[in-house]
Amino acid sequence: MLKKIQQDSHDKFEALGYPSKKLENWKFSPSNHLKKYSSKNLDQSNFSIEKYSDKYTLCFINGELATESLNHFIYKDSITILDIGELEDNSICSTSSNFEKEAFFHLGLSTVKTGKYFEFHKGVKFENPIKIINIYNKSDKNLRISSFNIFKLNEGNDISIIEKDVNEGSGSFNLNLNKFICPDNTILNHSMLYDDKTESNYLGYNYYDLGKSVLLNIDSMNINSNFNKNFIEVDLNKEGSEAKINILNLARGDQHLDNNILMNHNAEHCISFQNVRNILDDQATCVFNGKVIVSQGAQKTDSNQSNKNLLLSNSATAHSNPQLEIYADDVKCGHGSTTGALDKESIFYLRARGINEQDANNILIKAFAKEILEEFFDDDIRNLSEDNLNHWIDG
Amino acid sequence: MIKIKNLKASIEDKDILKGIDLDIPKGEIHVIMGRNGSGKSTLANVIAGNEAYEVDGGSIEMNGDDITEMSIENRALQGLFLCFQYPVAIPGVSMAYFLRAALNAKNKHDGKEEMDAVEFLTRAKKILSELGLDDSFLKRSINDGFSGGEKKKSEILQLLMLNPQLAVLDETDSGLDVDALRTVAKGVNEFKNGDNSVLIITHYQRLLEYIKPDVVHIMIDGKIVKSGDMTLVHEVEKNGYAWLAK
Repeated sequence: MLKKIQQDSHDKFEALGYPSKKLENWKFSPSNHLKKYSSKNLDQSNFSIEKYSDKYTLCFINGELATESLNHFIYKDSITILDIGELEDNSICSTSSNFEKEAFFHLGLSTVKTGKYFEFHKGVKFENPIKIINIYNKSDKNLRISSFNIFKLNEGNDISIIEKDVNEGSGSFNLNLNKFICPDNTILNHSMLYDDKTESNYLGYNYYDLGKSVLLNIDSMNINSNFNKNFIEVDLNKEGSEAKINILNLARGDQHLDNNILMNHNAEHCISFQNVRNILDDQATCVFNGKVIVSQGAQKTDSNQSNKNLLLSNSATAHSNPQLEIYADDVKCGHGSTTGALDKESIFYLRARGINEQDANNILIKAFAKEILEEFFDDDIRNLSEDNLNHWIDG
Repeated sequence: MIKIKNLKASIEDKDILKGIDLDIPKGEIHVIMGRNGSGKSTLANVIAGNEAYEVDGGSIEMNGDDITEMSIENRALQGLFLCFQYPVAIPGVSMAYFLRAALNAKNKHDGKEEMDAVEFLTRAKKILSELGLDDSFLKRSINDGFSGGEKKKSEILQLLMLNPQLAVLDETDSGLDVDALRTVAKGVNEFKNGDNSVLIITHYQRLLEYIKPDVVHIMIDGKIVKSGDMTLVHEVEKNGYAWLAK
């Protein structure tokens, strides 16, 4: 079945071609440099995952699940794991109609070697988060690595997934496609941590399909990425669900960070929050394309969208595009966007108490970031993110 | 303690201070009164080193050192403290973190050890209790969501924790009800001793019912036009400022 989908995607990519600046989602995103990367068959049979592996961790090497990481995986008996190619139902692979318009989504899908399907058994609740480590081990230059995974929860599941990228070797173009199916009465916490020093490029398409009374938390922190563009789309399809997204991005040099979030309120009595903060130094750039669509029947929707950008240099640039499309008449929706430098009055206040200028600046940068980090659902991730933030500030 | 000579300052090319002379010896409380726009708050800001203002002439000496060109933080470390008229809110930075950072900067400057957490908390809690504030005040973000009274009490908390040599109180009495005013005044009186000095900037005499100044100055259009004792305050209350402007 996967082969048929991949052939379709290949044809769609050929028809769409690489994205141009004329497309709303790519207007401010550099993409020409991504054309030089190509997909290759890699031999990773000798790669050892020992230093990454523990009982809570699933390792993916260059987009493929390292089966030996299942040996010690404590939750393996509570999850059915299949190759996507083994699935009989085509529809389970379908994602968002918006992703269907994305050339890179099809490029990724058409070149995936083998995707995995994870189905969590009914009622299962894990005490500890599942760690997914995406190891990109590249000896070849200009390598494009694609992955596609589907995570299906079942009623009563309470699952936390922490996804972390590890880049080794030379820079690559990592195309990461995920689908999360959250039926009625499920809880999903999904953290994404990006910290890369290999000048790799990340492009993610994450789709979340929510049923009734679902709680979804998406947390993301990004530092040291050369290019990181993440599409997040959430369908709130039945009443009583809640989706929260908290994202903190830090960039300097010529780095580019990009968040494209679409929140579809398709049912009544749902809540959603988008909270995205970018801190940019030097010539770094960022994009926030955030959209909330409240469909006709989605009465009593409560939605808020916030994007704040802190510019530490006159050469840094933030593009912010928060949007609301509301077709229901009894809803509470708000959105806001601010972009600016550190507040001079606040710096004066701190310095007037004897705190030197550099420390005062750092205190204010941390405070700006902390308001996002405090919302992260996992204590360990929050602490790790704080450490990353401190290292980034120290240069 | 502080000697200001012919101080001139402007903001965005607008002259505000037009030649201020002021001498506050150690152990004294001085008051500057004046109408809105007379330059009182500008003087407080320029003394503290606010870089939004341009010093166009004159000098400020503190304990014999010329601090006119000194950085904001170094003035604070030398013992200068500005009680802000409008303390800025800084979400995400707790009062405890802020106070410890300020105390550690001061101790480092003075060649002392960092204050340990127990000593810090003991001292802070004692002052909080005197100001009628709960211990949880330390966990709140700096001035974020504070009432007008809480903001001014927060300034007094900082004053008592940092224990500077010269406190400049910029309209600390504005926006306070009688009870809060008494509390703030009590804090200032507690701070005051023979080794430090206070400069109070105010519109009204009501704070002066609780804090007794040694010298009263009247400021009009960027200059100190008259100095005297408390009787000057009563004259201003009775006759306004117009007669002094002539």
